[in-house]
Amino acid sequence: MSKFKKFFYSQKAAPYVFVLPFILSFALFWIYPLCSTITMSFQEIKPAGTEWVGMANFVKLTKDTVFHTAILNSFEYMILTLVLLIPFPMLFAVLMDSRLVKAKGFWKACLYVPALTSVVISGTLFRLMFSEYQTGQMNVITAALGLGTFKWLKMKATGLAALLIVACWRWTGVNMLYFISGLKAIDTALYESADIDGATAWQKFRYVTIPLLKPTTIYVLTISVYAGLAMFMEAYMLWAGPDSPNNIGLTIVGYLYKRGITKNQLGYGSAVGIVLLVIALAINIVQLILNGTFKKEED
Amino acid sequence: MANTSSVNEKETMGMKTKRTVLSIIGTAFFAVLSFIIVFPLVAGLIASFRPGTELIRRGLSVDLDFSSMTLANYKYLFGNNVDGQKYFMWYKNSLILTAVSVVGTLFICYIVAYGLTMYNYKLKNFLFFLVIATMMVPFEILILPLYKEMISLKLIDTMAGVVLPGLCGASTIFFFRQYMTGLPKELLDAGRIDGATEYGICFKIMLPITKPAFAAMSILCAMGAWNNVLWPMLVFRSAEKFTLPIGLNTLLTPYGNNYDVLIAGSMFGIIPVFIVFLCFQRYFIEGMTAGAVKG
Amino acid sequence: MKKKVLATLLSVTMIASVLAGCGGGSDTPAADSGTTATDDGAADAGASDDGAVDAGEEAPADEAAAEEEIPTSTFGDPNGTHLEMWTFVELHGQHYGNMVEKWNEQNPDRTIEITCTTYPYADMHTKLLTSLTAGTGAPDICDVEIGQFPNVIEGLDTWLVPQDDTAAPYLDTMVQARMDVYSGSDGHYYGIPYHVGATVMYYNMAVLEEAGITQEEVDAVVTWDDYAALGEKYLAAIGNEEGKYWTSVDTAGCDWLWIAMAEYGDDWTGGFDGTANVQLDSVNKMLTMQQNWVNNGLAMVSPDGHVDLEAGFQNILDHNIVSFPKAMWYMSRFTNYMPEEKGNWYIAKCPVFEAGQKCSVGIGGTGTVVTQQAVDKDLASEFLCWAKMSEEGEQLIWDNLGFDVCNTVLWNDDAFAHDDNNQYNQFFRNYPYDVLYEIKDDIGTIYTVRISPTINEQMCNVTLNDILENGVDVSEALQAAQDVVDLEQ
Repeated sequence: MSKFKKFFYSQKAAPYVFVLPFILSFALFWIYPLCSTITMSFQEIKPAGTEWVGMANFVKLTKDTVFHTAILNSFEYMILTLVLLIPFPMLFAVLMDSRLVKAKGFWKACLYVPALTSVVISGTLFRLMFSEYQTGQMNVITAALGLGTFKWLKMKATGLAALLIVACWRWTGVNMLYFISGLKAIDTALYESADIDGATAWQKFRYVTIPLLKPTTIYVLTISVYAGLAMFMEAYMLWAGPDSPNNIGLTIVGYLYKRGITKNQLGYGSAVGIVLLVIALAINIVQLILNGTFKKEED
Repeated sequence: MANTSSVNEKETMGMKTKRTVLSIIGTAFFAVLSFIIVFPLVAGLIASFRPGTELIRRGLSVDLDFSSMTLANYKYLFGNNVDGQKYFMWYKNSLILTAVSVVGTLFICYIVAYGLTMYNYKLKNFLFFLVIATMMVPFEILILPLYKEMISLKLIDTMAGVVLPGLCGASTIFFFRQYMTGLPKELLDAGRIDGATEYGICFKIMLPITKPAFAAMSILCAMGAWNNVLWPMLVFRSAEKFTLPIGLNTLLTPYGNNYDVLIAGSMFGIIPVFIVFLCFQRYFIEGMTAGAVKG
Repeated sequence: MKKKVLATLLSVTMIASVLAGCGGGSDTPAADSGTTATDDGAADAGASDDGAVDAGEEAPADEAAAEEEIPTSTFGDPNGTHLEMWTFVELHGQHYGNMVEKWNEQNPDRTIEITCTTYPYADMHTKLLTSLTAGTGAPDICDVEIGQFPNVIEGLDTWLVPQDDTAAPYLDTMVQARMDVYSGSDGHYYGIPYHVGATVMYYNMAVLEEAGITQEEVDAVVTWDDYAALGEKYLAAIGNEEGKYWTSVDTAGCDWLWIAMAEYGDDWTGGFDGTANVQLDSVNKMLTMQQNWVNNGLAMVSPDGHVDLEAGFQNILDHNIVSFPKAMWYMSRFTNYMPEEKGNWYIAKCPVFEAGQKCSVGIGGTGTVVTQQAVDKDLASEFLCWAKMSEEGEQLIWDNLGFDVCNTVLWNDDAFAHDDNNQYNQFFRNYPYDVLYEIKDDIGTIYTVRISPTINEQMCNVTLNDILENGVDVSEALQAAQDVVDLEQ
């Protein structure tokens, strides 16, 4: 018993005790369902029984033009959200963290509130705002600016703009909070010494903030890559379902939802999911290796 | 700034004015940003004071025409009727579910991330890779197998069934890990020299200085739990366990939407959360930085 | 320090539970009524005259529902056989609740207790399919929306209980087409319908009269050419005012195309055994006609895609369009969302391409099924058929749900069809059932089969937009649609 206790408290065993919950949860809630999904992607599942179809699902995906549209849309969206949802929230966070802003708490709460809003309601609100009818809020605004009215959700460019507006609305505050918490971890002494060296605000941002914020930035980048590729809810909200004119709002997960859930083609849906998994994993592993996240830190 | 006595008065005045101007610009910037962000919700709030037919009549109008505004929707929501009772039942369920999953997730993810950051061992990178990998799996494809598993584990229609699979949130672990890599490892050795156990170091020394990460994650997890629809919907079988998003969703049907309860109910769902966030974020964010690394 | 964090976490939990306490409607009646009182006060002080009227109007409608104390929906005899029922429309659940009480009175030896759970629309179907596939967890009785029916019917009698025997007593009075819609590829009936969903033409008679068009002229419309000509006359009478149209055509709904197919007796799905063909002459004719209408200003494209949406209601309320074809169940949209239009609208049968054709088609609908996982399949089936097809059941469906019931005998039953207390009879200028009775033998059927969702999706996402918004040639667009559909069959 005491031997076990000694082992339990040893520096060697401790990390495994700490990661045990993850290992358990991984084994229970990931390994089995994931294997099951991978198996399904090689099958056609019918009520009468399951049939092995080999690579047929994946071969069909290479010919499925709707799926190609979905991939293209997801990539477009991911890249644009990376451009919009990393630098700006970072700047906002730095500004918010400075002593220049009054009533910080209130502004933070305002920026964060979309994240707490149920998708059910924000979806209804944005769908009404982007309505092509003249009482749609966006059309009221563009008409007041003399630009006339648009059929927002029927055209590719405006549809994508609407998606990005919704994305920025929901995630700017959240990403800003990530950066704010990252900023709190930066040693204030570094800024003080920079002040003594006569650094300008820009220099401090460039040479102290950005490098030291790197772990947070990598985090935001990683989740944004995946969230961008896996975006579904925003589109589902705007078009009140997975269908949109000329598939302008169709994403990879949207297609997965349509095939796997709406049409109950579990095999084909699983194949779509596997493709997404591979793409997202590949991009992020490359990105994380380039950023040196997997490097063993020297003690 | 003012206590640096070597600066002459004129310059101090100049700096002060400059600071004030910058401060006004900075504050105004966030005021405008906040206004834009809150705008759709304000429109919704205004709509919640009008009967559902007005929403159809005018669209999502922000004109403050008080003559058409009433408290009828809210009166109905708070009234002693089936819809009102149901609404608060959903509300209560959502709050409990959110509280349980936030507390559970933060605790579990913190210790896992700690184990993944503070030690060097063989499997470390592999485990971290697994964490990242689980983040990349679209939840939609896991649903059917996971649902079957929940049935065989007898977790269907229980809160455990909803909370357990999400407890080890990969993105939360990842965030904690990223945060902790920035913390000084010397503290561990200092702790060991002082005779603290590995677990003592984890909870007594490292946990306090991780508080900003806790703050950010508590908000993120709360948001996830509060808005989660698909999985709770599958796990819960009885209507008295439904959460707010599931309940609100039942008001939207191909046979017509119940706008009266939907809009008012949704708006009332935001306001308390907003107020709680506003009041307590001092503790969530600013308060917690007291423990952050200073040097 | 640890304590502090724990305290913070605890406080979060406490805030949550405190809020939950305030909100707990069923748990803390005292607290709840306190809140109500305060709010009533505030409302009275704040609301203007208009407001008070509105509030007054809202309340009675819901008073009936307020009888129940606990917000679950379990009805009937607690000692009877317990049935689980899922739906995505709360009113449907209440229908079974009412019917169960009547059933128990008539069948004291086979009493039932039923729990009706209302789930969100998309999620309910996901959940049903998941539990049917998993072989466990499905309810006894379940509503299935027609668009989702092909997925659910795929399991045939391994998933669902055939209703042929239990439905037999009612079949001779039911609209056969609606039974067929919910039948499987094995020829058995699996779903029991609520309504016909017969398409009719809605006319804003009040506006037409202002423009000098009489009801006789509307009644005289037989063909689509007549219809278009009357439209030209209307537009000329109002001086071709900008933004005003005769009708609106849909880019996100296939109703018009279904009408065209029913008129020619076509079906693009080809039924259960045939192959799907969207390049039908009927479809082509309808789309070509619509494209012309859009080009010459007779019709607009429905804002946001079809008329059964917020923008569509606004469009009707603003009198931008004065006529459109839609299923009978659209009547409830008028009463729910467009109450100010009361007394303005007139219902007539749809025009046809050639005189003598069928002029209507059943659109939309929800079939109710009994699953193989039911505890007592016979009892559940018998109850379901009785609740939805007996005269008692049909009476409640019309009164409470406002559907055009499938029992044709009732259509010319004076007490049923001409009841002046009925809100729809009050709302429209004529009795809706008179129109339905007139077209009794002219209601066609379009099947909903495995390929249907694909066709529907392609049409609503791509083809209709291309033709009506982007002016793509009809034959070309249909060829493109056929290519996509072929990939799936």
